Amino acid sequence: MLPTDDRFSQASSAYLQTFKVTAIVIAVCLASFYLLSSILLPIIFSFTLYTLVEPLSNHLVRRNINHSVAIILILILMMTLSILAISFALPPFIEQVVLLKDKLPFIFSQIENLLNVYSARLAASLGIEFDLSSIVVSVVAQSASLGNALLVAISEQVFTITLSMILVPVMTYFILKDFKSLRNELLNWLPNSSFELGWLIYHRVTRQLQIYTRGVMLQSLIMSIVATIGYTVVGLDIPVLLGVLTGLLNLIPYIGPVISMFLATLVASAMTPFDPSLIYLAIGVVVFAQIVDNVVVIPSLIANAVDLHPVLAIVGILVFGNLFGAIGVILAIPAMAAIKIIHRNLYADIHNSGRISALNAPRKSQ
Amino acid sequence: MDNFFWSNLFNRVSDETGVIADFWRATPLFRNIPLRHVQALAENMHVRHYQQDEWVFREGDQGAGAILVLEGRVRVVANQTTLAEFDAGDFFGEIALAENENRTADALCTEAGRLVYFLKQDLEEWIEVEPRLGAVFLVNLASTLAQRLHRANQLIAEKI
Repeated sequence: MLPTDDRFSQASSAYLQTFKVTAIVIAVCLASFYLLSSILLPIIFSFTLYTLVEPLSNHLVRRNINHSVAIILILILMMTLSILAISFALPPFIEQVVLLKDKLPFIFSQIENLLNVYSARLAASLGIEFDLSSIVVSVVAQSASLGNALLVAISEQVFTITLSMILVPVMTYFILKDFKSLRNELLNWLPNSSFELGWLIYHRVTRQLQIYTRGVMLQSLIMSIVATIGYTVVGLDIPVLLGVLTGLLNLIPYIGPVISMFLATLVASAMTPFDPSLIYLAIGVVVFAQIVDNVVVIPSLIANAVDLHPVLAIVGILVFGNLFGAIGVILAIPAMAAIKIIHRNLYADIHNSGRISALNAPRKSQ
Repeated sequence: MDNFFWSNLFNRVSDETGVIADFWRATPLFRNIPLRHVQALAENMHVRHYQQDEWVFREGDQGAGAILVLEGRVRVVANQTTLAEFDAGDFFGEIALAENENRTADALCTEAGRLVYFLKQDLEEWIEVEPRLGAVFLVNLASTLAQRLHRANQLIAEKI
């Protein structure tokens, strides 16, 4: 048995080696993300779709349908669903966005009124003069143009969205068809000494990401439905748009629900006639949706899919958000879960088999 | 002479894939599994080249799958004792297909050659598509592992 000092130095040396390799992996991934940043969104959508439709493809193959035919059938199904979604869901959705645009000036003036009321109450109770409304005066002044800017931004994105809608099914088709052989080719570049370890890490990371992606998509859908029903019952304007946004924002842990609550409060404050209880009800809907999420959805769908400390998760979201914007915020949790698995497996391998020196030396017997 | 168009049109199995499929099909792991399925699996298996005296794996390494000797020779050693020698057509390391335990012995390539990896990942993906044949394979695997356990017990009994 090794003396304690030796074991400690071996462990710390293994840890350092693991850190180096993990850092290289992260650097390569970040560089790839950076190089692909212009088409990162369609790529992520395609891989998400691949994860979602792969079980369907397997199901069709099990029914003795040729793999290529199964993929074409899925592609046709996806195209049909996209067209149906565009024709039926998009017009009412845009209608709600336009309604929101029209309401924005009123929302901001209501906020100003609210702030005036509360600053007056605060001044009366503390005896100090507050002018909280001045904080939002400039925003209120620009609120009308904000709505227009929103529409301009959406119309500017129409080309990108249309391109993505064409690119995503095509990319998903090729991923379904050729991803496994491409992956095999790439992993064959690993040296003999790391071949099995590389595959194990890939296997564990992809399995975890598959569970996470499928779970999170279903979670987002459930949250959208729960929130939409909640907002409708409460009597809030634009319940579908708000519900969908609540579901989508739920993809961002910790921060997303707070933004949802803020949006619901904004819309509730713009209701005519103004009813303060509606603000509490709107907040209540988000809180109720979060309770459903934490008590029912997460334990049954994505428990153990990722096991990250909340502080680490929030820091990760902020860092990834800073690096890659909105996509980074959504990618932060799965990316950090993947890094954690890579680090854990590399450490176990380097530490257990004492391969620290072997990583730099040819793998020959003595 | 091979015609590129016709060979691709009928998706002919390459010579190497054919040899790999034949080797695997001769093992107890693929008993009662139709050749075309073994060929389809063999197409996605991973052929690795090893030099003489190169370690295939070391005791304590994490195992990712079973290994078939396509060419060359492999010696499996534990506690400086040779447990087995494998030639072309033999397979080893199949415990990794059943569970995520570390390798329990060293494997050394004593003659340069080519080894074929059948990974647990490939097996799981295949089982998702072919669950019935997957069940047959798993029974074969259980039976192979049981036989090896039985043999190990006999060896221990002989030594005692």
